[in-house]
Amino acid sequence: MGADSRDALEKTTRINMLFDIYGPLLTEKQMDIMTYYFREDFSLGEIAAELGVSRQAVYEHVKRGGLLLEDYEAKIGLLGRSLSAALLLDNLDHALSEAHGMAASEARRIQGLARELREALLPGAQNDGT
Amino acid sequence: MAVRIRLKRIGAHKSPFYRVVVSDSRSPRDGRFIEEIGTYNPVAQPAQVNINEEKALKWLQTGAQASDTVRNLLSKAGVLTKFHELKQQQK
Repeated sequence: MGADSRDALEKTTRINMLFDIYGPLLTEKQMDIMTYYFREDFSLGEIAAELGVSRQAVYEHVKRGGLLLEDYEAKIGLLGRSLSAALLLDNLDHALSEAHGMAASEARRIQGLARELREALLPGAQNDGT
Repeated sequence: MAVRIRLKRIGAHKSPFYRVVVSDSRSPRDGRFIEEIGTYNPVAQPAQVNINEEKALKWLQTGAQASDTVRNLLSKAGVLTKFHELKQQQK
């Protein structure tokens, strides 16, 4: 409850995004445990029972896996770059929808390109609520 | 056998999207679940939470344990408050 559980939700989403990008750099065992914990939302105890290892061992893997992913992001920064580029493309999209003095068909064409680029970068996260 | 409410991740690469599902605590990964009771889209601005309140309350009242992340979602959606009120009334 409280601040901790709010963080849990945001942290799960962030780790899931990092895991999409850098997951294959982890060991197989780490990937396995991270998948259980962050994708399937199993508790430490449930994973321990499932894999026949101690709860403490699962905890260590989850913690270390999270640190490794953050470390890769700190060094490589693919997620950060995708997120900021997506934001810029949203701005471009928005600017085009309000562009005056430009043929409407032209604006729509460029808008379409901006959306395609955004989708390629970060799928399904369009900012306009549709 | 315990029944859990979990946040099961689906959705595309780099774009998390979750189902809130009820499942047996020992049902295998990527396995069956008993019922889907909602969805959560964290990448929409603002994040979209969609919970079938009636079903969620039904499962909580029959003793299903929500994971930390699901508890968080349920409390955001006001379902936990309702659950506690109902519990108080029964006492």
